[in-house]
This record gives sequence, structure tokens and C-alpha cells, in this order.
Amino acid sequence: MTQQKSERIMNLTICLLMARRFVDKARIREVVEGYHGLGDAAFERTFERDKDELRLMGVAVETGSNDVLFPDEVGYRIRREAFELPAIEFTAAETAALGLAASVWESATQAGQAVSALAKLRAAGIDPDPTRLAGLAPRLGAHESAFASIWEAHTDRVPISFRYRGEIRRVEPWAMNCRRGSWYLLAHDRDRAGARIFKLARIDSAVTRIGKPGSYALPSSAEIEAHWQRLEPAGVDDSALLAIRDGRAADLRQRGTAQAVDAPAGYSAYQVSFARSGDFVADVAAYGPDVIVLGPADLRAAVITHLEAVAGLTSR
Amino acid sequence: MTSADQVSRLLALVPYLQLHPDADLDRTSADFGITTTQLIADLRVLWYCGLPEGMPGDLIEIDMDAVAETGRIRLSNADYLRRPMRFTPDEALSLVVALRAVAELVGEDAAEAVRNALAKLETAAGTPTATTVAVSGGAPGVREQLAAAISDGRQVTFDYTDAALEPSRPTVAPVRLITSDGFGYLQAWSPQRADWRTYRLDRIAEVHLTEHAVPELGEPPEFGPSWLESSTDAVAVTLTVTPQSAWIAEYIPVQQLRRSETAVELDLLVADPAWLRALVLRLGPGLLAAEPAQLLASAVDAATEALAGYRAG
Repeated sequence: MTQQKSERIMNLTICLLMARRFVDKARIREVVEGYHGLGDAAFERTFERDKDELRLMGVAVETGSNDVLFPDEVGYRIRREAFELPAIEFTAAETAALGLAASVWESATQAGQAVSALAKLRAAGIDPDPTRLAGLAPRLGAHESAFASIWEAHTDRVPISFRYRGEIRRVEPWAMNCRRGSWYLLAHDRDRAGARIFKLARIDSAVTRIGKPGSYALPSSAEIEAHWQRLEPAGVDDSALLAIRDGRAADLRQRGTAQAVDAPAGYSAYQVSFARSGDFVADVAAYGPDVIVLGPADLRAAVITHLEAVAGLTSR
Repeated sequence: MTSADQVSRLLALVPYLQLHPDADLDRTSADFGITTTQLIADLRVLWYCGLPEGMPGDLIEIDMDAVAETGRIRLSNADYLRRPMRFTPDEALSLVVALRAVAELVGEDAAEAVRNALAKLETAAGTPTATTVAVSGGAPGVREQLAAAISDGRQVTFDYTDAALEPSRPTVAPVRLITSDGFGYLQAWSPQRADWRTYRLDRIAEVHLTEHAVPELGEPPEFGPSWLESSTDAVAVTLTVTPQSAWIAEYIPVQQLRRSETAVELDLLVADPAWLRALVLRLGPGLLAAEPAQLLASAVDAATEALAGYRAG
């Protein structure tokens, strides 16, 4: 099956890697075992395909001429500096983290890629000690049906289109983010001429490629980071005085500081900061009678209105 | 498998085998994530590879008899392939993103090593990676204390607030820190209940080491989705919410969702009545009705009691 092809591409790689000068096609045909016995047309076709395979693997095959007088005389080579993994040293703790990382992915494709990246590091002399970090088992899954095609598009930097909440969107994928188990895509939206964040679970069609790989540039990491900030919970900008029943609502108590003010019997007062734009009314209401808002007045009124809605529900 | 996959692997296998003389067949296939059958097929390809012109002394040498008899791989005559190839963009990205998931789970002490490894990996890959992972894994200090307790084999006690907002202070034998679907968990053995328990890391506070050692335990059960769903006495509930509150469906295990112009119906299984009470209190005016309605009674009572507290204060 592909065994001969693998041999031929290996031998071609070694030939181009060992060359001190550009090697022309005639010479390659002569010295690389797998090209013997092919007719002219078959050789041309096979050689072109092999070069494409190498580029697909990320091997940079350079073309050029050895002779300044005859610059059109094309030859090929692989520069060792561009081919080899650069020298890289890791401490034992860093190596252990890398070893653990290779076991994180639940989706098979990314798991395979991470293992093969780690295998390259092992081939460069890195040997993770599996007993370090033994108690840790991080897992990264991807349940969204659009995940595989979006992941590939963002690795290849290829523009795509898909239907999102009923609308067709044409975007240039920049980066992805897994937040609380859900995957998001940050992309430049061509029709809206701006950056947009898409939740993969809400993509309701197949993903179509609408351009060539590498056909757009990514913005700076700082700009991408700034866009992701929109997914973060808003920063705290206010604080509330809460009466918290003793022994309850540990997370609110932990977020706040105890206050020496009057509270109902069995309750203690805490000052707790919160974000106005967030969902603090619901957060407090979820505790029912265990948390009473003492102030500010508008928050207290909002929680009372919220609780009145629940008290008014039909329960029989 | 394509030739590109195989050649890519062979170009890492050659330096690997030169660096690990007499490498073990099983260990090597595990390191490359392939079967031993595939590894032997790879070796057979390498057997025909070497310097151009293919003279007998130019080929890579592999002792195939030793492979068959002892399971040991001896490869030589490939001095020109001493270092692996650079990462492909997908390899680099997959490992970097996985490392970011590790960073979200380790404690403060190990976090620096993970950050350094990330920086070095990105330098080697040549491009920074903008794809990230965020896990709700609680405070780094809590993770560090738990990780230390796991490696020291000591039981811990901590404040815990469960999904129903009920507080408890369990003492458990910590075994493993896990992430699943974006949340960090502690997997532990509970001596009181004589059973395995999982605790969400962001709901753990005030961790204290005890003097008790972790007893001899077998492997904890595999952590998976079934862990959270497995419950014997779950009740089927249908909640009718406003369209503005339909987002809640992304945060709770909804079995079915029906939309109309004015409302969204969510079918779910509820194992813990206290959890449902907290959910109803949280939804407030966003909840229009529930079926069976009597399941709302405890939330209605809690809201009424809370309102009485407001009137008193």
C-alpha cells in the first residue's frame, strides 16, 4: 500500500536534507531509490505530489539555483535549521506538565496530535516522570458537532461560513476558547466588518471553507485577549451589606468581610462586593431566607421583587 | 493512515531510537501512540531508507531479528537524523492548549513550571497561540492544598457547599483532581459513607489537613458524565421559563427543550429537591410554571420565609 510511498518520501527528505547545494530534478531522479523505473511523465507527477506531501507535513522545501548566471535552473533543498526542532531545555517539573498535557484531550484527533508533539520532544531527549503530578487528571473535551471543522479552519487560517442562530455568517477564524466546558470561536466577521464571538454549540449547519489556507493575518495576542475579556464576568463595581444565617452561604461569606452591625438573631453581617452588570440579585435570592440584603436599598428592593415572584407561584 | 502521517512519525522515530538504544517495543509504541504492529511496519519502511544512491552501507540499520526475539529495537547508521522535525501547527496547538488545561488545575506551586513550559513550547513552535482554556477550578490555594494532601496521603476536611447550596464539612481521603466539562473536581473516598464522592473545586473552602492517613484504596471509578447523572430516585420535571431565561438550559442537564413565542419548556430529571429549590429561587420572575406544581412548594415556602425576614428587618 503506502509503504513504498513512505520509503520514497523518506529517502527524498534525507536526500534534500543532506544536500549542501540545490539538487536539480534530474539528480533527484537518479539518486532517490523510489523514482527509478518511472517514465518521464510519471516521475514529474510523482515528484510534484511528494513535494506537496512534504509541505503538508510542515517541511519547507526550498527552490533555487546554485548558479547566479543561470538563475532559472531550478533545484531543491531542505535547510536543516528550518527542518529541525530548535534546541529546547525543560526542567523536571516542566517536563512532567508536558507529559500530563499529552493525556488531556478527549477528542481523538487532538489527542493524537498532542501525543505526536510529545513524541517529538521525547525524540529530543525529554522524558516525563509520570509519578510527578500523579494526582491530577485534567480532561479537555469537545462535544460540539462543529468543533472539528472549526478547529482545523483556525489552525489553517482559512475563511469559513456557517449558519448561526438562523443567519449565514462569513468569518475569518482567529482563536478558540474553552470556557466552562463550552467552546467559543473568536473571528473577524466579514459582513459585519468586526470581531465577533460565536458559541460553537449554537452553530446549526455544517461549516464550509470559503477561501484558501493562510489567506488572512491574525491580530496581536493582546488584541485577541481584549476580545476574550468580553466573556469574563464583569469586574466588581459595588458592594452590598448582607445578613447571612450562621453556617450557611459559605461562598458569600468567603467573598466578603464580617461587619460589626446589627443583624437578625442567628445571622451575621458581611460586606460583599459584586458586579452591577452581573446576576447578583439571583445569586442572593437562590439562598432564600439564609441571606437578607440590608443595603443598598435598590438591591434590597430588587431581591424582594424577585422573591415575590417565587412566592406567587402556584404550587398545588 | 496517510504516508504524510507515517513519514512525519518516522522522522521522529529515527532520532528517538538513536537516543534510546535497545528501546522497548511496547514502550516505544506507547510513546508514539500507535500499536506495536504499526511500529513494526514503520521499522520495515525505515529498513529501506538511507542516504541517496542507496549503496549497501548507506541504509539505516535495524536489527529486525532482535526486534522479533527480544522486543528490543537497535537502530544505527542514521547520524544525519539526530533531531526530530519541528512541530506542525496542529501538533503545537494541540499540546499548547492541553498544557493550558493543565495550568487551570495545578496549584500555585506548580503553576510557574507550567507557564515556563508553555512559553518554551511556543518559542519552539515559532508562533504564539491565542486559543485558550478556562476551567472553573476554584482558588489556586485550595488546589495546591489538595494536591499536597494527595501526594502526602493525608485525609482532609473542608467546608463544602453543594449544588443545592447546602453546607457540610466532610472529612475525606483525597485521591485525584479532575476537570470535566469545564469544572474542576476532587475525587475522594468518604470513610463515613464508605463510598467514593466527587466535590466541585469551586465550592470547597477552608481546607485543613488531618492526622489521618489515606487508607489503602483501589482505583476510583472512572469519572464521566454518568457520575453526575446516576441517581436512583430522580423525578421528571418540566419547567416553563420566559425566553429571556432560556439560557439556563446551558447550565443545567436539560433532556428536552420546546420553544414557543412566549415561553420555553425544559424537561429535566431532578434527583435533589434542594437543588430544584435553589434553581427556582434563582429563576425568580423568569419561571412561569412547573409540572408537577407541588415540587415548587419548598421554594415558595423559602421565598415566603425570606420575605417575612425582610418585613421584620
